[in-house]
Amino acid sequence: MTLDVAFLFLQQGIASGLIVGSVYALLALAIVVIFKTSEVPNFSQGEMVMAAGYIALYLLVFQSLPLWIVMPATILAAFAGAALFRRLILNQVARANGSPVNLVIATLGLSYVLRGFVRQTGFGDTPRSFPPVVEPESILIGQASVTTLDLVILATAIVVMAAFFWMFKYTKTGRAMRAVGMNPKAARLVGVDLTRIHMIVWGLSGGISAVAALLISPKVLMTADMGSIVTLGFAAAIVGGFTSLPGAVVGGFLIGIIENLVGLFITSRAIVLAPFLAIMLVLVIRPQGLFGGRVEIKKV
Amino acid sequence: MTSKTTQVWLGAAVLAASLVHASSASAQEPGLTDKTIKIGMFSPLSGANMAYGFDVVNAAKMYYDKVNKEGGVHGRTIELVVEDDRCNANDLVSAVKKLVEQDQVFMLNGGSCSAAAVAAKDYVVRSKIPWVMLNASADGALYPPTDYIFGAYSISQYAVGGSVVDFGKQHLKAKKIGYINHDDAYGAWNLEAAQATAKELGVDLAVESINPNITDVTAPLIKLRAANPDMIAITTYAKPAALIIKKAHELGITKPIVLAVTGTANVSQLVDNVGSKDALKNFYVQDVLADVPGGSKIKWVYDMYKENYPDLASKPDHPQAYMPYGIAPAMSVVKALKDAGPNPTREKVAEALRTQKFDSGVMAGPIEFGPNDRAAQESTIYLKFDGNQQTLVPGSFQSRWKYKG
Repeated sequence: MTLDVAFLFLQQGIASGLIVGSVYALLALAIVVIFKTSEVPNFSQGEMVMAAGYIALYLLVFQSLPLWIVMPATILAAFAGAALFRRLILNQVARANGSPVNLVIATLGLSYVLRGFVRQTGFGDTPRSFPPVVEPESILIGQASVTTLDLVILATAIVVMAAFFWMFKYTKTGRAMRAVGMNPKAARLVGVDLTRIHMIVWGLSGGISAVAALLISPKVLMTADMGSIVTLGFAAAIVGGFTSLPGAVVGGFLIGIIENLVGLFITSRAIVLAPFLAIMLVLVIRPQGLFGGRVEIKKV
Repeated sequence: MTSKTTQVWLGAAVLAASLVHASSASAQEPGLTDKTIKIGMFSPLSGANMAYGFDVVNAAKMYYDKVNKEGGVHGRTIELVVEDDRCNANDLVSAVKKLVEQDQVFMLNGGSCSAAAVAAKDYVVRSKIPWVMLNASADGALYPPTDYIFGAYSISQYAVGGSVVDFGKQHLKAKKIGYINHDDAYGAWNLEAAQATAKELGVDLAVESINPNITDVTAPLIKLRAANPDMIAITTYAKPAALIIKKAHELGITKPIVLAVTGTANVSQLVDNVGSKDALKNFYVQDVLADVPGGSKIKWVYDMYKENYPDLASKPDHPQAYMPYGIAPAMSVVKALKDAGPNPTREKVAEALRTQKFDSGVMAGPIEFGPNDRAAQESTIYLKFDGNQQTLVPGSFQSRWKYKG
């Protein structure tokens, strides 16, 4: 490999990595925000993305609704669906038996229900393409080829993440969410409505998943199994530190860049392995993740 | 008195013997009676991969119906038991075991997904039951050859990979080919033949092997663009294939792209998934039929489909692209049953299959097995597809790979 080619690969790897990484970062954010407030990893996150994608596809392609209706409608539907799942199912499961394992199993159950539902509709039988929000014209940044759609994806993801961080830090609801994440009992004592906050957290996670679905669907073909992309969101969350929101974002970008550079400089075969090697490396060297706090030992 | 008793005993013995003889076939051979032969079929009939098998099964069924209407095989009508394998190895093995053990079929005619079909190899060989695949290539089950498994009626992966290189060299005059395959056994089979053919024809290969579940194909395509090949060959399944064609267009790659037959089950869906007909300006699709879909040589298959499935035929995207592939395997089963004679056994049918040779008139080349060959069909044609029309490229193209044992 000549130096010129290596430099081209480096530029392309970073550019492509930032673009897909921004979507992984959104997914990681959606995972971490739920984990931070309830200590439950949501194993239906991928299927929430998939279901949101199919809602948008149905409205856009099969109902011929304009994009300016489809986008908010999809985000709203995902928000409401996730919030209701928390309120109607997880609250009930938590009340019946407070073990977090049961909550995790319930999220797994949701993933099967959503996937089964999409398969039943018949829309998931064929890989389908989602129309892009902008026509993907090629652009050169340095020597790296990207498209206008890629830039829209990156910009939208950054705006959504910024809005989320602002809400989390400066609004009353955001502060209540942080309080629940730190100490739910103390938060309740000072008047925070835990049920409401949990619903909002799940709703936000659903909404972010819907944004991720709208961004990534034009780039990957849609199938009932497309939720597996969330594995990369989990990888990003673990690399960043499973309880750190900024860590989730950095983890997302890192995973995106690593998989592209590995594909370009080592072998295409290793693209899908790279995120998991990164997880293992982080877990061995820094088990709490890059931005996670110190490892705590809980007395049981 | 004595003679009367003897006569009675003799009569009883003759009657018993004739009864035993009459029922011997059905007693020894499961799924066989004097009037019927039970055949077990399996294929993906639901799920994301149903396009690989749903209409293939329908095609085979309509051919068996035709044979039954014409009097069956040696007076026996063909009964079918059909299972959904969802293109999944576990489901496929379960389906095969159910068909053999519970439904007691005489022989098997199924499998549209290669990787899944290979999983049933050991069980079928142990059970000594003849298995004629549908459109699965399943090279891993065909080589090394066994006495009971026959497949690749559409084409083997070895033939797919070699033929793409042959087409690149002969028709596109390519000296260097960018070759994208899966990084699994399926991809290894077609790559082995592509490398053997490339070596014989003096072609360079720049290979990128990708995971079938890959979602971002930028890296392999950037590497191929840097290698500057004269054409790009794609031998993946439909989903990565569409992503690659789309990304190649985004990256401004204008070299010819040749897609293997496994890369699309529906060309109109391919156009939708690629997103722009401009991406198909210099694009070829491999096919294994004797003519373009619906062409004069195979029009009778499409007419038969319309007659047998008027409701399906009126739906968009039907018949599915692989529909005609179901005819040749069904022809092969019927021919083997005929050749096995009026008292067929599983062994006789397997023996007939091992030396079978006939022209289906549907596939690009003859259906032919040999001592070291369990892949039925090894010829391909190529269609230039611009997003609207498919135009036949003259000639047929073959792999140079041979199983050496």
